[in-house]
Amino acid sequence: MKLPRALQDVRTIEALLTGAEAEAQRAGDDLPGPEHLLLSAFGLPDGTARRAFERLGADPADFRAAVETAHRQALQYVGVTVPDNAGEFPPPPLGGVHRMTAPGQEVFQAAVKLSKATKPSLLRGGHVVAAVCGQEHGTVARALTALGIERSVLAAAAREALADR
Amino acid sequence: MVEHAELPSPDDPQAALAAVVALRRLANQLERAAVDHALRDGWTWAQIGQALGVSAQAAHKKLAHKKDLS
Repeated sequence: MKLPRALQDVRTIEALLTGAEAEAQRAGDDLPGPEHLLLSAFGLPDGTARRAFERLGADPADFRAAVETAHRQALQYVGVTVPDNAGEFPPPPLGGVHRMTAPGQEVFQAAVKLSKATKPSLLRGGHVVAAVCGQEHGTVARALTALGIERSVLAAAAREALADR
Repeated sequence: MVEHAELPSPDDPQAALAAVVALRRLANQLERAAVDHALRDGWTWAQIGQALGVSAQAAHKKLAHKKDLS
């Protein structure tokens, strides 16, 4: 039996936000932000987030490493060096309800808005990719730059991936 | 006297603000690790709060894991 669209959307949103929280925990961040939403979107079953990256010849797996590199390079700017294997910090406690950083909320709301403007009007990973590309500054923008990916080009690839059915 | 010679120049806002984000992230991670060790060493939340310059309640609210809250 096919699920009603509203219920499909609720399930996708739950998977996206829960995945983003897990990504934030894994990275040792207090709250999920745009980079964690994007990493979570790669795991959504519709596959459009991954396909958007792959259309540019980029491997979604490289994005995670690029985020860590972006943070390490930012610390080097102030003379702080963190070794690659410094992953011994305990994870932050999980919150009871879904909470995000302010840029994370912006990206999520933009993704939902984009999903309402496409047919079928269901949230998919490609909408998250297109939404993060709207962020001019921040960790995602710097990580994408480090990967040699232009945000406008990635946004176009996300729209193409969403159009491929 | 505060030594400013080693401070990075804020005239590159992109790099300086990215550094602020990364430092905040690192500080939070170090804080959680240090508090975990302090609790294992028998520190009270009052002592931890004092060391962090916040109240015991504020330290507990921010840093206690779910299992400690029950």
